[in-house]
Amino acid sequence: MPGEQRYEDIDVLVIGGGLAGVYAAIKAREAGADKVVQVDKGKVGKTGASCFAAGVMHTYFPEEDDLEDRVRRLTRAQGFLAQQDLMQDHMEQSWDITQEMAQFGVDFVRTAEGKLERRAGRGSYPIISFHGPQLMAAMARAAIRKGVKMIYRTMVTDILTQGGQVVGAVGFNTRSGDFCVFKTKTTVLATGNAWYKGLGPGHRDCTGDGYAAAFRAGAKLSGAENPDGPTNFFPARYDIGPGMNKFVGEGGIFLNSKSERFMEKYNPTLKERAGLRNLNYAFTLEAKQGNTPIFMDMTHLKPDAVRRLKEVLPLAMRMFESVGLVVGERFTQPVEWMPIAPLARPGLMVDRRFETSLPGLFCAGEAASPTAVPIGLASAATSGATAGKSAAEYARSAAAAPLDEEQVKRLRQETLQALNRGSGVEPDQVLLSVQETVVPYDVLLLRRADRMQRALDAIEDARDNLLPLLNAYDPHYLRMAHEARNLTLIAELHLRMSLARAESRSVLREDFPCEDNQDWVKWVVAQRDGGGMKLSTEDVPVDGYPLKPERTKNLHHMWQLAEKLGICRVEKGAVKWA
Amino acid sequence: MGIRHIDVRLCNGCNICVEDCPLDVLRLDEATKKAYIAYLRDCQSCFLCQSECPQDAIRCVAVHERRMPKAW
Ligand SMILES: Cc1cc2nc3c(=O)[nH]c(=O)nc-3n(C[C@H](O)[C@H](O)[C@H](O)COP(=O)(O)OP(=O)(O)OC[C@H]3O[C@@H](n4cnc5c(N)ncnc54)[C@H](O)[C@@H]3O)c2cc1C
Ligand code: SF4
Ligand code: SF4
Repeated sequence: MPGEQRYEDIDVLVIGGGLAGVYAAIKAREAGADKVVQVDKGKVGKTGASCFAAGVMHTYFPEEDDLEDRVRRLTRAQGFLAQQDLMQDHMEQSWDITQEMAQFGVDFVRTAEGKLERRAGRGSYPIISFHGPQLMAAMARAAIRKGVKMIYRTMVTDILTQGGQVVGAVGFNTRSGDFCVFKTKTTVLATGNAWYKGLGPGHRDCTGDGYAAAFRAGAKLSGAENPDGPTNFFPARYDIGPGMNKFVGEGGIFLNSKSERFMEKYNPTLKERAGLRNLNYAFTLEAKQGNTPIFMDMTHLKPDAVRRLKEVLPLAMRMFESVGLVVGERFTQPVEWMPIAPLARPGLMVDRRFETSLPGLFCAGEAASPTAVPIGLASAATSGATAGKSAAEYARSAAAAPLDEEQVKRLRQETLQALNRGSGVEPDQVLLSVQETVVPYDVLLLRRADRMQRALDAIEDARDNLLPLLNAYDPHYLRMAHEARNLTLIAELHLRMSLARAESRSVLREDFPCEDNQDWVKWVVAQRDGGGMKLSTEDVPVDGYPLKPERTKNLHHMWQLAEKLGICRVEKGAVKWA
Repeated sequence: MGIRHIDVRLCNGCNICVEDCPLDVLRLDEATKKAYIAYLRDCQSCFLCQSECPQDAIRCVAVHERRMPKAW
């Protein structure tokens, strides 16, 4: 019988210990919060996307870059659904926060004169580099020096509320199975993204637990249907990565099955260095034309380029070496590449202080809606910093509310249920059902209502028939069971929100090929409604923002290009393939 | 697949890999004080354990045998 651990008198509870969470914890301490507790499923500094990030950071250089242009590009990358005030705050703060990270011990790549070295990466502005996991190791040490109390191997499953206010969280220790109860004045949710447990490192620990817990507690979520990029790309046949930004930055190129360098067609200026969204479109259209497999070719890279890659991507390069794709300072052959890092980001909606729709709950990093926090380390840091400060301020004036012990009791039963079952459905069985439903490119990257509806039916089937029978052999498997349960909910949110957006914006729709700036400059908002899910829309307040899209409804630029290239025709408002 | 082998002759029981593995794949045997692979199929092939082991006792291979549906 698992025991129970209580953690009380917390001023700021930070859930998740990636860069956003660590920054929130540090800034909450600096802003005067006495007891700051950080809880993570793994060990802070060794898990999440932040630990396995591919060595690049998108920092704004005040003396070299055009601020307005960078904010404009971020906003455009969000298809004008971005919260422009937050994009501006982020960009402006990213320079100072980079300097501060260096003071905390992050070892950025520097020039001979000791300046941050800028190199080409994906996108229009050069990036700076760091040495893989060293970044998070340094940041975790900084948080501990600041007096943040760390709790490891504890998976948070639900958020506690009292009279609509967030007063704590519950979870369990993934080794002992002990049920854990956190009582706090305020909470920062920084649990990262929902990666559907794809193949890349950093993709198998963030399973949308924060989205799911917040949804169950009644928070407003948005962004699942309009991500910064619905997937990332990795070697198809090996467990290698990440590092695409660096690989193309050093000169790696994509070839299709006909050995054509197809990105020249889809983005003649940036080619492989185009943004993730553009790569998604191009891969999708290539797949639709039967031009797969697709390869990343780096065989022409010079030894000094391979040496640089080894410096900033030490883990990925070891992986290449382990299967003979890198020998010495050469890539030996082109590597098959595929979108196998599917994600959905039904993030928490936040205001400029990163407060969510639930009083007492703040949110940072990828746990927040993509319209508020673009993917990336720099924005994880800036959003974490502000969320931590805001939470500490809130804690100063908030009185600690008592817990609803009935709620705690009910959640204890729900949390440990799969552990006590004895026999039942394996978590992997549920996970595979979810993956089989959402991973195919004609659901994830190329949408049409009938296919999405079929996918939704499959998810509902898993929800209703598999989840009630989930079985965990031990506390480790209990984690896997909760991840599978959460990903089923994420998939449902993902598909329902995608069905709701009747246009092509971040993701192409065959049945709604226009980008509709007349009716769809809107957020699709999901919220719990009793046992179900309620969807609504909210207008993006573009009238109060500096950048306003033209209020027109035109064929999406990628469909225009696809028509021009003879890949398809658009007839009667729908796409017909050539 | 990721982690494939821990060489017990080299392992000194420092516990670093057990503490740091993001997916909690590894454990230390109480009696022998040697690390072992407890949950092989949850390994995410990140190579963190291999790169942190002070004894170079861990071998990882980036070949995936895990079932994962393909995009196309
Ligand atoms: C493979 C990969 C490579 C990338 N490369 C780059 C790059 O080179 N440059 C760049 O700028 N961006 C990169 N990104 C994006 C960037 O890493 C992320 O945007 C950023 O790290 C997000 O930080 P975060 O703190 O929000 O989330 P994460 O770093 O993912 O942290 C979330 C944390 O929450 C914990 N957690 C999750 N669920 C629970 C739970 N239920 N209970 C307790 N704890 C929980 C996790 O263990 C994890 O530690 C990359 C992303 C990936 C996945
Ligand atoms: S890190 Fe290496 S030496 Fe230490 S316990 Fe693990 S295998 Fe053994
Ligand atoms: S490769 Fe990564 S996930 Fe696998 S055992 Fe080592 S540290 Fe854990």
